[in-house]
Amino acid sequence: MLNKTRLYYTLQIGGWSVYAIVQIVSSSFASIREISSQRIVFLLYETLLCLLVTHLFRFLINKRQWLSYGFPRLIPQVVLSVFVMGMIVYVLRIPVALPLGLYTPVEAIDLTVFLGQSVYYAIVFFIWSVLYFIYNYFERYNKSLKLEASLKEVELNNLKSQLNPHFIFNALNSIRALVDENPVKSKEAINQLSNILRNSLSKDKSILTTFDDELKVVRDYLGLESIRFEERLKIEYDIDPESYTFQVPPLMVQTLAENGIKHGISRLTSGGVVQIKTRVEDDHLKIHVRNSGTFQFNPSMDGSSGLGMENTRQRLKLIYGDEASFRIITENNNFVVAELILPHIYRK
Amino acid sequence: MKALIVDDERLARKELMKLLEEHPSIEVIGEAGNADEAEKMIEELNPDLLFLDIQMPGRTGFQLLESLDTVPMVVFTTAYDQFAIKAFEISALDYLLKPITAERLAEAVHKVTEKDRNKNGRTRDKKLGLTDQVFVKDGDRCWFVGLDNVRLFESDGNYIKVYFDSNRPMIHKSLNALDEKLDERAFFRASRKHIVNLSWVEGIEPWFNGGLMVKLRGGDKVEVSRRQAAKFKDMMSL
Repeated sequence: MLNKTRLYYTLQIGGWSVYAIVQIVSSSFASIREISSQRIVFLLYETLLCLLVTHLFRFLINKRQWLSYGFPRLIPQVVLSVFVMGMIVYVLRIPVALPLGLYTPVEAIDLTVFLGQSVYYAIVFFIWSVLYFIYNYFERYNKSLKLEASLKEVELNNLKSQLNPHFIFNALNSIRALVDENPVKSKEAINQLSNILRNSLSKDKSILTTFDDELKVVRDYLGLESIRFEERLKIEYDIDPESYTFQVPPLMVQTLAENGIKHGISRLTSGGVVQIKTRVEDDHLKIHVRNSGTFQFNPSMDGSSGLGMENTRQRLKLIYGDEASFRIITENNNFVVAELILPHIYRK
Repeated sequence: MKALIVDDERLARKELMKLLEEHPSIEVIGEAGNADEAEKMIEELNPDLLFLDIQMPGRTGFQLLESLDTVPMVVFTTAYDQFAIKAFEISALDYLLKPITAERLAEAVHKVTEKDRNKNGRTRDKKLGLTDQVFVKDGDRCWFVGLDNVRLFESDGNYIKVYFDSNRPMIHKSLNALDEKLDERAFFRASRKHIVNLSWVEGIEPWFNGGLMVKLRGGDKVEVSRRQAAKFKDMMSL
């Protein structure tokens, strides 16, 4: 706010100073005779009047909050105001112009001169108003854009996938047992878990990550789950090499894989398959996370699953608008597929 | 003390076995990977203690307990489950959070041993006596209730209301089936609707049609039908 006020004074004083200089210089070129000191004093006085009148005009604009008016209401008011201001300046310059001998009293009260000069001032003030309002509208638009962007960021952060604590502690428990049984594998598991934690804790609030990075997290995640579920979990990857040119929202595929484990494998006594399959078609990345099990949409039983799907949907909407899609497909009651279709380009 | 470990993860079971090696008083007599296996083993091996995971494929740990007529002592094991923890903080013997630490396990074993000492007279026959406990779950709340605390079972449609303390949760069972399982020296079938705990009987009054009105400690009154009244008098008299 302080900056804005300072900017106004700089522009107001600077602008009118330029106006005065231009007036003095142009009248010295225009007149054949040398410019008189009286005329310079008069022009400076005139400029000072304009400065004060426009300053009062700004005071009026702020007080009446003209910036919130629509154009149909604003324009007539501005036009009327600049004419009134023009006349005021004309009247106020008479007491100085006469003693300086620049006009005769007869000239001063001549209606044509009065109207002509007032219209001249009105045009100058109108230009001032146009500049003033353009600046303020632009600034306001900018502010609302910034606000919108920050709101979107907050929303995206809230929707961002959170690692499931149940998974972390189960993984740690499995690793603890694995230390005796298979030290090499347990060391690898610790690396996998730290990679996942790093990814999920990272303060870097990027909206998108490379497909490569996301796939690494998914591999680490499923690697850890396969330690836990052992032969009950079979993992398959079928990755289109073109996929690596895409960017994806971080932890989104991991969340889908986690849902596949949570609602599929972990409920099946004999276990099942989780398959990650990607295809690039028409410049869109199609990701299928397929798992054994049956899809039960039952928000009352397990509100978290319905919420997770809704989160995914909202995140996609915020990032891609209507260009991405997400749906759940059931295959012959034996498999559930979470399908994600993402565009190549992310529009801000 | 004979213990059974119930967890769907082999590594989790192995880890607990390893930790239990430090406690010779606990003898692990088996491991089960899901609720069905566990139910069978509990019937065959009759363990004194269960280490029970809650989230398992098929039936959960809670569902397993609900299907048992009598439950052994239970120590829950879970990774992270705020709802479950809330549920059994009320009345479970103990619960262990995975990864389990040796100190925490020692505490749990200590609690279990203490409780076992108090329950030394636990009957080994199939009938449920006063020293047995049952698992009751009603909505989000669950209880391990010693049968000595249950003063009355009341049939209510397909359910049985279990009266203990100020609670009356429902279990999904028929009163006839329950009657067959209960030790007849401790529990008495007063009528089609009620089974009373004899150790809670405070007073008996004659009632209409040759029946009786039994007053229980705490103020509940239960009518004994004419058919059962003679039998009841027999049992209560020396």
